[in-house]
Amino acid sequence: MKRLFEVACAVTAGLAFAFLLLPLVALFLRVSPGALVSALVSEPAREALLVSLETSAIAHVIILAAGTPVAYLLGTRDFRGRRALIAAVELPLVLPPAVAGIALLAAFGSRGLLGDELDLLGVSLPFTQAAVVLAIVFVASPFYIRQAVAAFGAVDRTLLDAARTLGAAPGRVFARVALPLAAGGLGAGSSLAFARGLGEFGATIIFAGSFPGETRTAPLAIYAELDRDFDVAVALGALLVLVSVAVLAAVSLLPAWTRFTSSSATTFAPSAST
Amino acid sequence: MRLAALALAVALVAGCGGADDEQLTVFAASSLSEVFEQLEPDARYNFAGSDELATQLREGADADVYASASPGHAVDLHREGIVERPRLLAANQVVLVVPRSNRAGIETLADVARPGIRLVIAAPGVPAGDYAREALERDPRGDAILANVVSEEQDVKAVVAKVALGEADAGFAYRTDVEPAAGDVVEVGGALARAEYAIALVREGDRDDAERFVERMLAPEGQQALLGAGFVTTSEAGRPLP
Repeated sequence: MKRLFEVACAVTAGLAFAFLLLPLVALFLRVSPGALVSALVSEPAREALLVSLETSAIAHVIILAAGTPVAYLLGTRDFRGRRALIAAVELPLVLPPAVAGIALLAAFGSRGLLGDELDLLGVSLPFTQAAVVLAIVFVASPFYIRQAVAAFGAVDRTLLDAARTLGAAPGRVFARVALPLAAGGLGAGSSLAFARGLGEFGATIIFAGSFPGETRTAPLAIYAELDRDFDVAVALGALLVLVSVAVLAAVSLLPAWTRFTSSSATTFAPSAST
Repeated sequence: MRLAALALAVALVAGCGGADDEQLTVFAASSLSEVFEQLEPDARYNFAGSDELATQLREGADADVYASASPGHAVDLHREGIVERPRLLAANQVVLVVPRSNRAGIETLADVARPGIRLVIAAPGVPAGDYAREALERDPRGDAILANVVSEEQDVKAVVAKVALGEADAGFAYRTDVEPAAGDVVEVGGALARAEYAIALVREGDRDDAERFVERMLAPEGQQALLGAGFVTTSEAGRPLP
């Protein structure tokens, strides 16, 4: 009986692995490596990768710059409504991307909530790279903030208190104690947010449209090229798979580093005040 | 994402086929959605850009009828042995549409050449976009107009949606798309190009039902409905395409 259970588990696991991996393997088998490379250097693919790289990089800077203080507050302070705020920040995580797209239009579109105000400033967001960046920030930042809240929350409060009682200013406590101790978690969140942002599709196509060299990111180019040049679509898909694998590998390497920094923390914290 | 959508569409169409073999499956250009659904509400429809539907059929999607907004896609599929010889279904007019508010004040095609106008157009390969581009190539203002394109959409309904929302100042769509948009978009400046629609039986599909559907669309009843929706009917309807 016990044997039967184990065989059933193994068979199910085998089927699950095959189902999850087969499509990714098939992507690489569909087009020969030579065609893959020449498709990647084709005009539509290069344009799309450049747009993706630019918008993802800008969005990532915004996510880190704005997300870190938010996560530090939510992770290290206790106040009424904290849980509700965390839930609100995490909402885009479970929101269908298409909903994010129409929500962004409803807020920042020319007929949106802030449409008239933006118009007065001479700003029109839809169909611009700024719209792509906003879409990425909106859908990807929760991946970073969520991890960062957990990472800051896991920092031993007594270390922060010790630094403060030893005379370190709040900014110094943050920069010299909290940030290094949370670095592993922040890195993991940062990688996941970057990967999610790079793959953003639904919100982008609705809010920013799709124009080569301007708003057409790699995922949008896959959609656009599928019925025009299948090789380009597959090549971009294969490249994004490789990026995803790299991100996962980076994330799985991070915990080891966290353990390393944590173990040295007790000796590190007092030195921060010297 | 498109791959996923495609796989899903194929799986849905193929998967449902097993449970309900009797139901007719029609792959049609999105501009045909209103007429087809009104005339034959019981069929199962997949409305999208003609080129996207052609790709799905090449990938083995299970369908009985293919109706495209340009003869080219149907003729290609016929050459590849996926569909029977296509026949002329009807014609349509490619027109310039603007939002009802028309804040950019576009009255003619020439206005679209003004710098700063946000124009949306269907992507290359999507018939509505290809017809418009061909017409603009012959127009002296064509380059200036195409320089204002801010987004290439994957089917004509997406063009109309962006214009109806007021996000785009203008777009190229079919005359038949104006009425279903319920007053949110207005046609300006007359017809830009003529679009011909083709309809064909899918070789692997259910022959009898599909034939009945095609005959019905080519019969006076179907042609009348197409005319009512704003299509241009022609005495040549049913003519086999090369």
